[in-house]
Amino acid sequence: MKIEYLKTLSNNEIRDIHQATLEVLERTGIRIYESTALKILKDAGAYVDEKNKLVKIPSHLVEESVKKAPKEFTLFARNPENNVEIDLEKVYFGPIIGRINIIDLDTGKKRRTTLTDVANLTKVASALEYYKLPHSGVQMPHIEGVADEVAHAHAYLISAKNSEKIVKGTCRDKAKAQDCIRMASVIAGCDVEELGKKPNIFTTCNPIAPLQFQEGQTSGLIEYAKQGLPIDITSEVQAGATAPVTLAGSLTVQNTEILTGITIVQLVNPGTPVFYGTASTIMDMRHGIIAKGAVEAGLFNVATAQLAQFYELPSRGTASDTESKVLDIQAGYEKAITLLMAALAGINYIWYPGTLEYALTVSYESLVIDHEICGMVYRALKGINVNDSTLATKLISSVGPGGQFLGQKHTIDHLEDEHYFPKLSDRSSRNDWEAAGAKDLREVARDEVRKILKEYQPMPLENQVECELKKIVKEIEKRELKSL
Amino acid sequence: MLVEKSIKDLEQAILNYNIESAKYSAKKILDEGIDTAAAIKAATKAIREIGEKFHKGILFLPHLVMAGDAMMAASKILEEGISKEKRERLNKGNIVIGTVQGDIHNIGKNIVATMLKSEGFVVYDLGEDVPIERFIEKAKEIDADIIAASSLMTMTMPVLKELIEELERKDLGNKFKVMIGGGSITQEWANEIGADGYGRDGPEAAEVAKRILGA
Repeated sequence: MKIEYLKTLSNNEIRDIHQATLEVLERTGIRIYESTALKILKDAGAYVDEKNKLVKIPSHLVEESVKKAPKEFTLFARNPENNVEIDLEKVYFGPIIGRINIIDLDTGKKRRTTLTDVANLTKVASALEYYKLPHSGVQMPHIEGVADEVAHAHAYLISAKNSEKIVKGTCRDKAKAQDCIRMASVIAGCDVEELGKKPNIFTTCNPIAPLQFQEGQTSGLIEYAKQGLPIDITSEVQAGATAPVTLAGSLTVQNTEILTGITIVQLVNPGTPVFYGTASTIMDMRHGIIAKGAVEAGLFNVATAQLAQFYELPSRGTASDTESKVLDIQAGYEKAITLLMAALAGINYIWYPGTLEYALTVSYESLVIDHEICGMVYRALKGINVNDSTLATKLISSVGPGGQFLGQKHTIDHLEDEHYFPKLSDRSSRNDWEAAGAKDLREVARDEVRKILKEYQPMPLENQVECELKKIVKEIEKRELKSL
Repeated sequence: MLVEKSIKDLEQAILNYNIESAKYSAKKILDEGIDTAAAIKAATKAIREIGEKFHKGILFLPHLVMAGDAMMAASKILEEGISKEKRERLNKGNIVIGTVQGDIHNIGKNIVATMLKSEGFVVYDLGEDVPIERFIEKAKEIDADIIAASSLMTMTMPVLKELIEELERKDLGNKFKVMIGGGSITQEWANEIGADGYGRDGPEAAEVAKRILGA
C-alpha cells in the first residue's frame, strides 16, 4: 500500500489559512512593481492603486484563476527517457547545480563556482537516477569568469550539452527569460510559440516577502506564461522577519504571495502549468540568518503540500539544505529530516539537494550523498506492500520454526522490490571496512564523483543544434556587452 | 536625584523595549530641562548593552529591533532640546544608506540604519531598489562620510562592486567610504571588491562605521 501522506494541518485549519489569505488579498493587498501585471490585474477586476503599486484582489478572481491551472503536465527532456510527468501523486527531486560558492573537490576549500563547475555538476546530476528536475547554472546570477549579463546564456549552452535532463530557465528579467525560451526552442526544434505544447523548459519565480513582486522577475514570469511554459511560484518567507513569527501567519503570507503569482499567470495565459511552492522557513533570531535546515522548514513543506492538495495543484518544496558549512552530522540530519518530511507529505518537486550553508554553497560530494538520501526516501514512500504473496504464510509454514529464508526463491523474487540497496553508505563489517581503506562517507562520495565525471557521457547535442545555440550566445553577448 | 530618575527611566524603557515609555521619559527630560546630551549618552549605553546581549545569544533579533525603535523614538524627541550647533558637534558622521537596485529587502538595512543613528551618526535612508547614481548624488548633496549599501540576494551582490567601481571612475573613491552588508555578503566579498567595511549585523555595522571614521 502506498503510504498515507504526512499531515500537520487539519482540514479546518487549511480552510482557516485559505480564508485568512483571501482577507489579506482583499484588504491588505500585495505590491507589484511591474506595470504589465498591474494592468492585467486591473482589467480583470482587481483594485489597483497605481501610485503605490498596490493590488487588492477579490476572492472570486483568485479562486477562478487557481482552478484554471492544470493538475498534471509533462516536461520533455532531450532524452525522452528523462521526461517528467508531473501530477499530484509523484515525487521528484531537483538538485541545485550552481550557487555562488562551491567546495572544491580536490582541496576541500570554498571558492567561487565557475562555468567548468556548472558543466561538471550538471553532468553528475544527469548521471544520477533520482534527480529528474535539476536546477541549472542558468539560474545563477553570477558565474566566476563570466560577465553577469550573459551568464545565463553560457550556462544554458553548457547545461544542455552536459545533461540529458530538462534544463531549467531563469525569469530574472524579461530579456533573459526570452533568451532561455529561445534557446529551449532550438533544442526542441520548434518555434517559440509552439514550445508550450511540449515544454522542455520551466522556471521559478520568487515573490519578495512580505507581499511583493519585483519588476524583473515578474516581467520574466509573464514571458514564460505567454508561451504556456510551466512556472514554479515559490514563496520564501522567513518567519519572524519577513512574515509573522507564527508558522500559521507565515503560511498566510506565503499563500497570499503564491496565489497572487498564480492569478497573474492564469490571467496572462489560462491553463499555464504552475507549481505551488515553498522555500519558507524561520529566521534564526540569534544570528539574523535564514535557517533552511530547520525542522520548521520541514513543517512548511508539509503544510505547503497540504495546501497545494487543497487547491489541487502540483507542489514544490525545499529540502536537503543545511546551515552547516561542511558535510558533517548536522548537514546529514538537517538534510534527511527535511527531505523525508517533504516527501512523506507528498511534495511533488523537491528542490535543494547538493547545498550547504543555507544554499550559498554547493558541493560535489553533497550532490551524490543527498542522492543516496533521496533513494532511501523513495523506499520509504513505497511503503509496505501487503498481499498473499508478501504475507507469505505458505512460505513461513514450509520453512517452519528454526528454518532459514536465505535459500528460498521467494526471497530472490521479492528482494529488490522490498529492500533498498544504498550505494555509498557503509554496511560492511569493521574488518572489511578497514580492508577497504577505512573510508569516511565523504571520501567515498568524492571517489563516486570522480568516477561519474570520468565515465559518464551524456548523449551529445546534434551538431546543428549546438551551432545554433552558440550563435545565440554570441548574439546575446553582442547585445549585452558594450565592449564587443 | 530627580535628574537621574528620568534618565534612568529612559534607560529602563529601552532595556524593556518599550517605545511608549521611552517617548514619555524623553518628553519628561525635555520638560524638566535636564541635559539632553547626557540622556542620549545614557540611552546609547542601554542600546549597547542590548547589542552585547544579542551577540552573546542572550537576546534575539526582535529584542534588538524593538530596543532600537525605542531608542530612535526617544532620540527624536531629545534632539529638539539640543541646539543646532551642539547637534553638529555631536554628529559622528553623515551616512547615506540603502538597498541596491534590483533588491527590495529592507529589514536588515533598517536595523543597521537604527544602530548607526543610535551611535550618533546622521543617517539618510534612501530606501530600497536604489540606483547607484542615486547613492552618489545623495552622498554628494549631504557631503557624506560613508555610503552604506545592502544586498540580501546573491543576484544583486555584483551591484555593490559596480558601486565601488563607479565611485573610482568618478574619482570619488577617496571621498566616500563604502560599507556593505546583507544576507549574502561576507567579509571576503568586501575585501574582494575593495569595500572599506563590512558588518554582519546592526551592532557590528555601527562599530565598523566608527572604526572607518576613527570616531
